[in-house]
Parts: sequence; structure tokens; C-alpha cells
Amino acid sequence: MAEEHAALTLSRRQFFSDCGLSLGGIALAALMERDGLAAAAARAGPLAVKPPHFQPKAKAVIQLFMAGGPSQLELFDLKPKLRELSGQPIPASYTEGKRFAFIKPDAKLLGTKRQFARHGESGAELSELLPHTAAIADQIAIIRTMKTDVFNHGPAKLMLATGSPQFGRPSMGSWVLYGLGSETQDLPGFVVLKSGPRGPRSGAALWGNAFLSSVYQGVPLRNSGDPILDLATPIGVSAAEQRRTLDAIGKINRRRFEETGDDEIAARIASYEMAYRMQHSAPELIDLASETPHTLALYGAKPGEASFANNCLLARRLVERGVRFVTLFHTDWDHHGGSENLEGALEQICRETDQPAAALVMDLKRRGMLDETLVIWGGEFGRTPMGEDRGSLGRDHHIEAYTAWLAGGGVKPGQTIGQTDELGFSAADPQEQVHVHDLQATILHLLGLDHLRLTYRFQGRDFRLTDVAGEVVKRLVG
Amino acid sequence: MPVSGQQAARVGGGHRARLPRFVSRAAAPLILALIVSAQRATADGPVDYRRDVQPILAAHCYKCHGPDEQKSGLRLDAVSTAREGGYSGPAIVPGASKESLLVKAISGSDEDVKAMPPEGPRLSSEQIATLVRWIDAGAKAPADDRPAAGTRRKSDHWSFQPVARSPAPTVQRADRVRNPIDAFILARLERERIEPSPEADRATLVRRLFLDLVGLPPSIAQVDEFLADKRADAYEQLVERLLASPHYGERWGRHWLDLARYADSNGYTNDNPRSIWKYRDWVIDALNRDLPFDQFTIQQIAGDMLPEASLDQIVATGFHRNTMINEEGGTDPEEFRVEAVVDRVGTTGAVFLGLTLACARCHDHKFDPISQRDFYGMFALLNGADEPTVPVPTPEQSGQQAELAEGVKSAEADLRRYDQETAERRAQWEQQLVAGIAAVEWTVLDPLEATCASGAATLKNLGDRSLLAEGDRKIDEIYTVTAVAPLSRVTAVRLEVLTDDSLPRHGPGLEDNGNFVLAELTLETPAVGDAKGQTAAWQWSTATDAKGNFPVEHLIDGNSGTGWSLNVTAKRPGTDRNAILALRDGLATEGRTLVFRLKARNVRNNYLPGRFRLSLTSAEGEALRVGGPVRDAIAVPADKRTANERDLVLAEFDKVDPGRRELAGKMAAIKSDLNKLTQSIPTTLAMRERDKPRETHLLIRGEYLRDGPVVPPDVPSVLPPLSTSGEQPTRLDLARWLVAPANPLVARVTMNRFWQQYFGRGLVETSNDFGTQGTPPTHPELLDWLAGEFVARGLSMKAMHRLIVTSATYRQQSRACPELAAVDPDNRLLARQSRLRVEAEAVRDVTLATSGLLSPKVGGPSVFPPQPDGVMALTRSVREWKTSTGEDRYRRGMYTYHWRSTPHPFLKVFDAPEGSTTCTRRDRANTPLQALTLLNDEACIEAARALAVRVLAESPRADAAGRVRHAFRLCLAREPSDYERACLTELLADELADAKVARDDAMTKTIQPPMKLPESADPRQYAAWTSVARALLNLDEFMTRE
Repeated sequence: MAEEHAALTLSRRQFFSDCGLSLGGIALAALMERDGLAAAAARAGPLAVKPPHFQPKAKAVIQLFMAGGPSQLELFDLKPKLRELSGQPIPASYTEGKRFAFIKPDAKLLGTKRQFARHGESGAELSELLPHTAAIADQIAIIRTMKTDVFNHGPAKLMLATGSPQFGRPSMGSWVLYGLGSETQDLPGFVVLKSGPRGPRSGAALWGNAFLSSVYQGVPLRNSGDPILDLATPIGVSAAEQRRTLDAIGKINRRRFEETGDDEIAARIASYEMAYRMQHSAPELIDLASETPHTLALYGAKPGEASFANNCLLARRLVERGVRFVTLFHTDWDHHGGSENLEGALEQICRETDQPAAALVMDLKRRGMLDETLVIWGGEFGRTPMGEDRGSLGRDHHIEAYTAWLAGGGVKPGQTIGQTDELGFSAADPQEQVHVHDLQATILHLLGLDHLRLTYRFQGRDFRLTDVAGEVVKRLVG
Repeated sequence: MPVSGQQAARVGGGHRARLPRFVSRAAAPLILALIVSAQRATADGPVDYRRDVQPILAAHCYKCHGPDEQKSGLRLDAVSTAREGGYSGPAIVPGASKESLLVKAISGSDEDVKAMPPEGPRLSSEQIATLVRWIDAGAKAPADDRPAAGTRRKSDHWSFQPVARSPAPTVQRADRVRNPIDAFILARLERERIEPSPEADRATLVRRLFLDLVGLPPSIAQVDEFLADKRADAYEQLVERLLASPHYGERWGRHWLDLARYADSNGYTNDNPRSIWKYRDWVIDALNRDLPFDQFTIQQIAGDMLPEASLDQIVATGFHRNTMINEEGGTDPEEFRVEAVVDRVGTTGAVFLGLTLACARCHDHKFDPISQRDFYGMFALLNGADEPTVPVPTPEQSGQQAELAEGVKSAEADLRRYDQETAERRAQWEQQLVAGIAAVEWTVLDPLEATCASGAATLKNLGDRSLLAEGDRKIDEIYTVTAVAPLSRVTAVRLEVLTDDSLPRHGPGLEDNGNFVLAELTLETPAVGDAKGQTAAWQWSTATDAKGNFPVEHLIDGNSGTGWSLNVTAKRPGTDRNAILALRDGLATEGRTLVFRLKARNVRNNYLPGRFRLSLTSAEGEALRVGGPVRDAIAVPADKRTANERDLVLAEFDKVDPGRRELAGKMAAIKSDLNKLTQSIPTTLAMRERDKPRETHLLIRGEYLRDGPVVPPDVPSVLPPLSTSGEQPTRLDLARWLVAPANPLVARVTMNRFWQQYFGRGLVETSNDFGTQGTPPTHPELLDWLAGEFVARGLSMKAMHRLIVTSATYRQQSRACPELAAVDPDNRLLARQSRLRVEAEAVRDVTLATSGLLSPKVGGPSVFPPQPDGVMALTRSVREWKTSTGEDRYRRGMYTYHWRSTPHPFLKVFDAPEGSTTCTRRDRANTPLQALTLLNDEACIEAARALAVRVLAESPRADAAGRVRHAFRLCLAREPSDYERACLTELLADELADAKVARDDAMTKTIQPPMKLPESADPRQYAAWTSVARALLNLDEFMTRE
């Protein structure tokens, strides 16, 4: 690279003399410094590492997006009173002015049949469905008073992913890359992983860049075929041929750069080189066979399988390699009753997710990575204290109070934040409510970014991830 | 500001905001005190508005809530407007000062209400008491109560001022002026002492013009034609040819579709497909015929409302139907209709006014003179439409439709006449048929043996030859009943399902609700001696009762996945039912054993018949041939039949009456043709104004559930007034107003976007924001000159393209000398052209065109070019992507089917907009994913292979250098430099050398049709040339407009 740089600078000088114009008072050295290829690429390279607003705690984020809305009442928030009143209509005082997706406001309350116990020194109260999470109870901070604004899946997912229920806003990962740049030259800085029976609703908008540059968009790593679209050299093209072709492209592009002085060409040359490196680094990344049997067993991961366990392990490998933001989507937590119920279906999805999520936290910790890696577990909303009967039991979408947990990245562990009222409907104390925007403000804060200052001017207005709201949750920040 | 209702709710304090706002315990004592003092003041006599009240309001409130300004939408200079109130609701509640917002504000007593006035002296307690007394006495208004004539809002901001056309300035270098555009640009450059760049070479110019005007590269022949054209106006001639090309409409149509947020799906969670490509084609066609911009606009905003609107004009209204639709379960459709109208307001603002109107959805615009009331005035203008799906036949199809409809009419008349003439004969036939059906004799089967396949249950003969199931039952149970045939011939079987006290709800099924699901009933006669075994072939079935999706026909459809079930909710359980199954040809059963099998279809354990009995008949003739619903229909007296029953009986009669059969057949054929034709006609989404417009309320803080005051339709008051010929302004009035000469914005905004396409940046960089937060124009006089010229040239878009691309400014070279780069790094002063990476669709188009694969077809349904597997898997509803074959595999990028939640990755990676909101300016990112796409994507490899074949086919006798030159010119129009030629020749040589060693795979690089390798070609050459072609198609210059 140094050699290449020197050669370029040389031809750059040649270009100046060819230009036929006097350089006047402009210092040649300064121009060369400014206009060298590397500098040009960096200038046109919006992914360069940028300093945070203040000293960060976390360098990377792994978001475990539990798509569909997990039932906090079966998993995290035990409500004896709800059990007691199970089968009775919910008092109207709770539901006045509230909207629900499917059930009527006079639906009947449903107490959980799941057993809860306290775990760890912190005494976090967790359901029998989460035995592995119970083992990391002292590593996580549980928020039982999460709140969001919208009660349909698509808009609510966008709310959590982008801070707005509308299409057209950048996703959290994009904002973070925009704010901090990428630490890796070999992989995308924002990666999306998916498991479960179907894709998340709203699709690509959940990891979209919207009005930010598309260099900030999330790149889905795929479970089958090429891990990244068009990653593999085409069939019939040898590695040597690929390299020779790239060299020819690079040489001609470089000459054009010298002739036109257009930084975009320098950026294109850099893009092609990074693409070439990705061709090698991405297959190595997804090859889980290099992990020890012990690690594989910890996650319950099986090389070659499309699973949440594999994705959790991949997330660690991504962060290890300098990836800034990883979002894992796991579907489908939408337990309304019927085939998606609070019985077998919930047990099944807990089996799929409980162990890998806990393993991720443990694995990060034993590798000394947890301090700088923020792990977030949660869905777009929770589920109602009222039951829904679709042949078998479930619950409707609930936005007033639900549960999420965080670990690592500067989060103060071993605490449970917020209490819900005796039916688990809302935060008992409105002061303890943690809105999605508050969570987002906190995530940015842990990364050393002030959510009020991370803005982008578009359509006449400075946009933020947290829209016009959001307060850092002080208790979360250790 | 585009903040949704729910968000705003939170900003306002969550659900608390939905409660009445002015209930504050803290305020009560103070208000009480005020009321006491007011009562004391009553002794002074009644309060007079003019004498006592108005002077107080005028002194303290009018500055912000008077004729000149209405902060928060509130106006206090008339009692009527005070009662109507502002965004927070009425200011005055007559007779109830306690509830009146005005009193809370001036007394400063309520923590939720900002104390008023915010500046200057507070009201004295006497003044407050006077207002309280006046309100409690009913807030009586004087007879002549009306607000002072509303002065419209004024603004000094440049973009709201009328377009001022100044003459082109005089410049020193007049030789560099090709048209007035250059004078404006040069004048500024001369002021800054910057030399403009020389004109680009002709090869660059021809490629530049092609890419900019039609979005395609020139062929070598087209380049040569231009290079050889020595006429003085060769360039202008080329411009004319390109503006006349049908591809011009595609190129500039795609730019417009960005604004229109065009997509082929509904967006949100479900992202269902939609058909609106006719609108896309309308845009292409309108541009090609150079529809003047005013007509272009009016038809898209309100084409449906034009007098005697043509279908074409209705199709144009698809512009505002490109909004998204949320079909997720549990959504409130009206809520998302409102979202769509909000989007229409925002899009109208951005596209035609260059204003960020959406900022005023929840509150007055923070920076621009746009109030929240202005926003809802625009909202009201766009709120009056229904949203129909409209068929769009071609004129030929319309003609055929009319012809066929006429044919149906006359065939119906023929039939009617025939039916009248043959009424008597038909009645006789019916009578005979009914009698025949009644006369059928049934012989009840006497079972020899009855078993359950599971062995878990038994079938007990109850003596009346019916069988009762007892014991455990298993899923997929089969009952087998064996008997000696009581008849020598069987033509039909009757299955009675019977009630019994032992059954749940008396049966006849075993399930708790008394029901069952029976999948199949079969009848066999096993082989005996010489007689072969036979299986009954069923012809029809009929039943006394069946549940919706479980018709009796399922019993004989040979599919054990479907079944017959009873409607036990509509008809009481515990009643007997029966089904009759007729055989196709009858079965000879003399002395034979009959084996019946009743196969259950158990979704759950007990959906089995509980008690049943089988009977047989040997009756022949029509009475048995007539099946299913016809039997029920004919049993109904002729004058009581429904239309459906009448048709069933008539159709049956057709079978025995050749005369009617012929006529009915004729009619059915025409109807079927008509139906097929109708099905084949594409539809599109359009607007249709309602007879009675919806009432529009201002939504407090933009929240969907918080209606504020009613807002009449109007345009922002800072802009010229809206006129109407009707009772109140309509969408059509808005459309005309947008393009009226008085509107200072529309021509500026439109010309600015044109400029942006040609130079990479608008004269106003924020092309969607001409408000106070936007960037000011770099060349304000030029922008106004262009806007004026646009109007003077009849709003002809082609005329303005012609003007811009023939300017010397446009024709400059794009190379940035360091000196220039130092003084004007972003090229705002335009001392040169700019290098611009072409848009996503154009990257595809240029690649396909260069390789010779591109289909030149214009318009039609969207297509499905190849994309990597698994792209569609990341969404909620996995959509099929059935790759197009033939010509449609190679269509221009703009025709690629656009799923909003899974845009085609090739287009997405090169920054094609998602189509969720209007896009006035695309990003031009430069990413490794783009490199991976161009290097490795199937479509790009296919193009490289095709280009290799093309080069070999088109230069069969040339040497390597000659072929390199040919390939280079195909890709970049210009001649290669020695260096470039050397790089590519070296690559070719390396590949050929490599091919000598191991090139068995050369032919495995299968050539996709329609490319054919010439027979004489050496496969090694082909393999090596594929590499060279790949290199060329990946050059930065290849995807750049120089």
C-alpha cells in the first residue's frame, strides 16, 4: 500500500505539470498531502472511524430483536394479582382510551401458569422457561417498564429499529455507523442476521439507511448460499483470474483518477479492494467449524445450520472482527393463541433462544469482550394481561409495559428496573417508564454519542434517532 | 414535521394528553377566587364586549392572536374565532369561565397551560375579573362580530417573491456564451476571476448527451456518425434526435417516478402486490409527447376532475396513489388513509413547492411561514377522494368489450324469447322430473359385517339396519360395511346419517358438537369366480345439508384431504340427514358382495359419523341423472325460486332441449369471451372525488384521535390565494393553482431539479426545501431566468432540456484541475462539468446495452430480472420471484418489479429509492457491495459473456489490439489511451496463457441465449475475452457520466 501510495503521488505530480495551469500560491506539498490517493479515499470514505462525542463505554452493539413481541408475563413479570383475577374482565379504568390490535377492551384477564423463581445475588425473578437466562441473572439489567407508541407489528418494529413508526428513517445501526464509522476494513460495519420461521415484518426498512448514505445500510448475512449477496467469485472464474481482473480495473481506474482529480475514483478503488478482502474474510467468518466443541456446545450451535444459536455465535465473531453493530432477528414471538400459543409454541421459541442468548453473554464475558459490547434483548412490544382465545390461549399486542434486558457495554448489571402495576398493565410509577426513545438514547450514550447531537439535516429539519424525545436511563448506565 | 400521532401523543405526555387538558386541581382555588371577584364586580352592571372586553384583548393578545398573526392557530379579534379556538381547542366556553382556556392562560393558574401573555405586563386582576364576568354571562358577541379582514401572511424570504426576470448579464468573454445560461454563469466566474473549462471532446459529449437524455450509451455507429458530422449544428441535431427518442421518456420518467414514490407493492408489513404500472407508462408517454408541465401537473393531481376526463387523465392520478397501504391484521384502515393523505400533502409540498409542509403537521412550522392550519388546509384539499382500482383497456379492448356486451344482450333476448315460447313444455318436463325423483325406490342394505379399521371401535347393528359406532375412535378411521347385493343392478347409493340418544347432542356425529367430517365413500364388488372386481365410479352427489367449505361433492372427489360435514350451527344438531351418490354407469350386482368404505377425515379425534344406514336403488333415467343442487332447486315451486335456482333448473332443461341448449351455449361462449377479455385488461390505482367531501379537522399535535377545529380547504396563506368557481376549493383548484403563473415556486423548483440532474447539484442544493432552512441559490438570477424562460416557452420540458444541454456551461469538460479544485472543490460555480456516477437503473441499462442484451421495449407490466436466491426470504410474507424469460429478462432497470420491503438488490445497492416517500435527490454512495455486485452478480456476468461474444463476432479479423479498441469504444465511446490498451491487452494475454493450461471450464461458462458464439470462434478466446469484458464493465468511467 505504501508503495502504491508513492507511485500515485508521483503520477499526481506529473498530472500537475500536465495540467497546463500554474499552481499559483498553492503549496504543492499541501496539495499532494491533500490529494494523495489514501487521503482522497478517506475524504470520500464516510466509514472512516470518527471520534465519539464523549468517552464511550461500549464499542459494539449486538441487538437480539425478538420479533413478534415476547410475553413478558410468561417470562419476566410475575403478577400474582393477575392470577387471582384470571378469567375476569379487566377493569375499565385500565383500558380507557387505549387501543388494541385484535382484542376488545373488555377482554378477560389471564394469569400465567408458568412458575417463577429468584436467581443470582440480584434475585432477579425469572420464569421457568428461561433457565439459561437465569444463570446470567447477575450479568444483565432487566427493564420491566418498556413502553412504545404503536401496536401493529410493522410500525412498532420500525419504532424500535428506527425511532419512528413510519418508513423512511435510518435504522439504529445506520445512525451508529454514521456517528462512529467502522472499525473493520474487511467486513460491513452493520450486519443483520435472521432466524426463525419467517422474515421480520417491514423487511429491509429495519436495517435501511433511509436518507443517510447507503454506505451505512445494514448488510444481511444470509443463512444459505453466499453469506453476502454476490460475494462468491462467479463459477468458472478462478481466484487468479479474479485478481488479475481486479488489477486491470484498478490500474485503469487509477490512471483515470490522475487525469480527472475526482476523489470518487479513489473511493471506488478502495471499494473494490475492500470487496476483494470481504470475499476472503466473510467465508472465514461464517465457518463455525473453527470454534471449539465446548464453545459450540455452550451456544447449542451446529455448523451449517440456520439457527439463532449459530447467529449468536456469529454475532460474537463479527464483533471480534470489528463489526460495530449486529442485529439478530428471531421470529416469531407473536403468541396470540391458535398455532402460535403460550403453550408449546412459546416453550419451543424459548428453547431456541434462551440458551444461545445466555451463552453469548457468557462467551463475551470470558473473552473479556463484554465490557465493550452491549447486548440488548427485546421485542417491538409485549403482550396484554388480557388473554386471547383462538382455540388455544395467547395474548394480544401490548405497548404500555413490557420487558427488555441489556448486558455489557457499560450497563450496570444485576438490577431490575421498573415495576408494573398489579395487573402488569402499565408502569406503577410513570417516572419509571422507559420509552423506546429512552432506550435508544441510552444505547447511543453508552457508545459515546449524545442522541441530541447525532443529527442529520434532511427535508429542512435536523433528524435524530430519538425523534423529538428520549432521555438517557441513568440507572442503566453503570 | 412528520411525526405520527402516537409519537406526538408521547411528546405531549403519553396517554395523559388524551384526557381533558384543563383539569388541574392546583388551578381550582385561584379560579374560585376569580369567580368571587367577578361576582363582586357584577354590581357594576353588565359587561359590554366593545367597551370592556375588546380593549383588554387588543392590548394584551392581538399581537400574537390577531389579524396579523395567529399563534397556535388562535385568533382573538372576534368572539366567533375565539370560541372556535386554536389548535388546543376553544379559547372560550360561554358561561363557563372555569373551563375556558383563555382564563387559564391569563391567570397563569394551570401548570399545563402556558401563562399568557408570554411577554409584557400580565393582566391585572380587575381585567381578568372583567373577562371572567363576560364569559360567565355567556360571552355575548356584538352584532357585527367578525374578524378584521384577514391579511395574508407575508414573508421576505426570496423563494416566496415573484419570479424576477433580469436580462442576461454582459460578460467579457462573450465568445464563451452559447445562450443566456452561460452569461449568468460566466458573470459570476469573472467576478471570482475563474476561467471556465474548455468544451469536452466530442466522444465525451456524445456519451454525456446519450446518458443524460436517454439514459443509454451510444453505439459505435452513433458515435462515429456524430464525430463525422461536420455541420455547425451537429450537436444540436443530436440533441433533437435524442429528445425525439422514446427512451427520453423513460430516462426522465424515472426521475419523475422518484418524486412520485412509485412502487409495485403496498409497503408496510404485508407488502402486497399492486398494479399501477399504467401510471408509470403514462409518465413515460406524457414526457415523450412533451405534455406541457401545467397539464402534466393538473392531470396527475386532479385528472379525474377535469371536465369529461379521459381514461388517460384518470390514469395520471396514480401520482398520489403511490402512497403505501397497511394491511396488517388489527390496523385501523382510516388511520393509515390519513397517513396517506399526510404523505400526499408532504409530497405535493416537496415536488411542486419545494416546501417542507409536513413539518407543520403537529405544530406551526418552526422556520417557515407555514402554520399548522395551513397544513390541514392543504390536507382538506387532498382529503376528498376515494381510491378506486380502475381497469385500463386499450381502445381496441374497449371496442371488443362493447361488442361482446352487445352480443350478450342480444343472446339474452333470444333466450328470453325462447323461454317464453317454450314455457309450457318446460313446466311439463319439470313436473315429470319431480315425480320421477319422488318415485325412486330405496332398498335398505342389510349389513353382513361392519368393521372399524382401527379395531378400537365396533359398529353395532341396531336392528333397523343402521349402524352405531361404539368404543374408542382413532384418527383416519375407516368404516367398512359388507353386504350381499339386494338388487341386480345399482344406480345410486343413499347414506343416511342418523341421530341417536347415545351420541353427543344426539349426533349424528361423534364430536362434541354432533358433527363429523367424512372424506370419501367408496363402493366395490370384489372379484368372484370369473366376475372381475368392480369399483363404483360416482357421477354426482347431493345432500340435505352441508357446511360451507365441506360440500357433499367432497365425498366423491377421490381426495381424502377434503370432506363432507354438516352445518350444525345453522341447522339444529340432532336431526337426521342424508346424502345421495349416483353412479356414472350403474353397477351389475347380481349375486355379488358389496363392500362400502367410509373414510373419515379427522382433524380431531371424534369427527366421525356416529350412526348411519346405507340404501340402494336401481332406478334409471333423468330422475337419477339430475344431481346435486338441481334436485333442491327443482323442488322449489317455480315462482319461489331464487335467480340461482332458476338458472340451475334451466341449465338442466338445456340437456334435454337442443333448441335451448344451442342458444344457451351461444350466450355462455360470448360471456366467457367477455369475461376473459375483462380479466386480461390491466388495472391501475386512481383517484375519484367524492360527491360530498370529507370534513377535515386539524389534528391536535398531529394525533389521529385528537380532532381540533374544522379546517376549510385552502393553500398556505403566505402563497397567492386559491380561487374556485364552486362553493369551496377542490383538488382541481389546487392543481391549477400549483401551476398558475402567480405561484412563484413551481417553475423555480422544477428548473432546479433539471439543473440538479445535469450538474449533480441544484442551483438550490436542497432541492426539496426552498424555505428558510434550505440553502440559498448559488445563482439566483439564473434560477429566475430559467423559471421565466420555462413559462415563456409554454412550460415545455423538452424546450428547457434543449436549452440547458446546448449551453457552453453544460458542454464543458469535467476534469478538475488542482487550481480549480482548490478554489471551488464542490464545483458550485460551474467552471467545469461534474463527473456523476449514473443512477442504479442506468448502471444496469448501460451494462445491458453495451453487451447487446438490452431489450428496447418501452412500457408494459413490471418484470423480474434475475436476482440472487433468498432475497425474498427476509420479509414477513415470502413472495415468489419468478425470473422473467426471453426479452423481459433484459429490460431496462426502471421496469424491474419494485417490492417496497425487498427492493431488487442490484438497484438498492446503487441507491435506488425505496419508494416509501418522495425522493427529490438520490444519494450517490460508493460501496464495496457495489463492487461485489458488478464483479459477481449473475446479470453482470451474463453481460460480460455477451460482450465477449459481441466483440468476437463484430471484429472477427482484428488482432488483440484491434479488438481491445473495439470493446473499449463499445463501453466508453472514446478511444483507449496507449496505457489503457496495454493494460487490457496484458490481461487478455494472461487469460489466454492461463487458458492454455486449464481452460476446460471455458465452455462451462454457458452462454445465455440470445447470445451465440460464432462457430469459428475459439472457446479459449471467448473465456479470455469474458475477463476483459468484466474489467471494462467494472471501470469507474463505465458507470460515470463524464
